[in-house]
Amino acid sequence: MSICLAIDTSTSRTSVGLVEDGALLWHGFQDGATAHGSALPQLVSQGLAQQSKVDQVVVGMGPGPYTGLRVGIAFAISFGRARGIPVTGICSLDAIAALIHEDDFVVATDARRKEIYWARYINGVRTEGPSVDLPKFVAAIGVSAFGEGSFKYQLTTNEEFLFPDMASLVELSKNSDNKINEAMYLRRPDAVPTSERTQ
Amino acid sequence: MSAQPLVLGIETSCDETAIGIVRGRTLLANVIASSVDEHARFGGVVPEIASRAHLEAMLPMLDQALLQAKVSLKDLDAVSVTAGPGLVGALLVGVASASGLALGLGKPLYGVNHLAAHVSVDLLTHANAIEPTIALLVSGGHSSLLQVDDITSSVVKLGESMDDAAGEAFDKIARVMGLGFPGGPAIDRESNNGNSTAIDFPRGLTQSQDWRERPFDFSFSGLKTAVARYLEATPDYVRADVAASFQEAIVDVLLQKALLACKKSGIDSLVIAGGVAANSRLRHVAQERCDGAKIRLRIPAPALCTDNGAMVAALGSLMAAAGRPASTIGIDADSSLSVTCVSVA
Ligand SMILES: [Zn+2]
Repeated sequence: MSICLAIDTSTSRTSVGLVEDGALLWHGFQDGATAHGSALPQLVSQGLAQQSKVDQVVVGMGPGPYTGLRVGIAFAISFGRARGIPVTGICSLDAIAALIHEDDFVVATDARRKEIYWARYINGVRTEGPSVDLPKFVAAIGVSAFGEGSFKYQLTTNEEFLFPDMASLVELSKNSDNKINEAMYLRRPDAVPTSERTQ
Repeated sequence: MSAQPLVLGIETSCDETAIGIVRGRTLLANVIASSVDEHARFGGVVPEIASRAHLEAMLPMLDQALLQAKVSLKDLDAVSVTAGPGLVGALLVGVASASGLALGLGKPLYGVNHLAAHVSVDLLTHANAIEPTIALLVSGGHSSLLQVDDITSSVVKLGESMDDAAGEAFDKIARVMGLGFPGGPAIDRESNNGNSTAIDFPRGLTQSQDWRERPFDFSFSGLKTAVARYLEATPDYVRADVAASFQEAIVDVLLQKALLACKKSGIDSLVIAGGVAANSRLRHVAQERCDGAKIRLRIPAPALCTDNGAMVAALGSLMAAAGRPASTIGIDADSSLSVTCVSVA
């Protein structure tokens, strides 16, 4: 019996789950692309009120817009270190794809700047991506599309499977091939010199 | 809460990922990873590069700090973090990490003000009480004169820079003189071989009307322009003399106003804090003038003047010992947090 804290902040949704042996015990989320910083600790605190003992942390490593994504990863690794429990990173797109039972499809999330983060899955295996591109590039592949980015850019009208699934995030962590150590930014930092220095 | 709380502080407001651990007023660990080299070629800090570096450095710094302090996370009484002001994306890495630690440990979290933390770090090197004191806070982002009645609850702003911060002026002048980034240490070094009275650069906001209307405010833009004009008009300028004269103009005006604040308030104590407080000329002249005016001067050791985690831990420790309420779960970073707000609710 092992209880897992699942966290994903790679999309506009801040999502937290408590998963025990594949079953979702508790799920809390808050929507809002700039809300991750305040929402995540609140959600985790609510979850811990239900079940305070946690044996493992699994966190979505993106791809995702940078600031929100980092909130989830920074929180997860610190929480894991505080509890002395393992932390596993998973590709967030895989945790959307896991629930979709089609032979060939793409999953896309919103990368802002009119682009999407996407990956393609054939027979349950990620065959392309994760990458960042214009929606029309992904539309041209001509397969079914899922995820927040696909919906936003009208690659689909399906409002299911928009965000990473917490139980799937944990399930994926059992497969060593899925583990990712670094945040998946997929873009280089904008190196615009700034005088925005503080202190 | 113990009278000597063991507090870990995280600082990520700019380009330094810094963690400090203090027990009461005793410094146990102070570790820093800086991404400054990655920013140098841009002549300033690139926020996204800084934020990525913070995330990468967080666990290594945490482990190093615990090792140095010879304590384990479960021994901590509280966690403290810079909640602002600073670069919002950079701050958020620290706030999220601190929240994860605090929730994981079940310990209180103090989201504190970076500027107040700069002042409070003085307590780690000087055992005597800090309050009440006048504080001159000079850094790359801020130049303020403060009256500190209680660093955990009452900081009053007497004045601040109307334009550039003092540290920013150092950076900009260093850039036009080709001295590199960051400019403060470069100008300090260059000035060692220069004559500080070679060129009479202007002291901003020191006309008689200024002394009446805004005695505690600063302005460095006129000085910056004057140095740039001088460099243009003087092709064979002596670099060390320009650096020393420019530095002297800043040091002079900062101290004139700080000492006036002491005199007007009747407070015979001055703390100088922030990155510019590491400047050797400022430290030297401040000591001379405070000795002359019978003002007790305290300036933290240079390594504690620039951004560090010890100062954040120090303020958190003072807050905890004073029984101040911890921050609520889910505090946000506040990039423009006012200096008068010592901690976020
Ligand atoms: Zn600072």
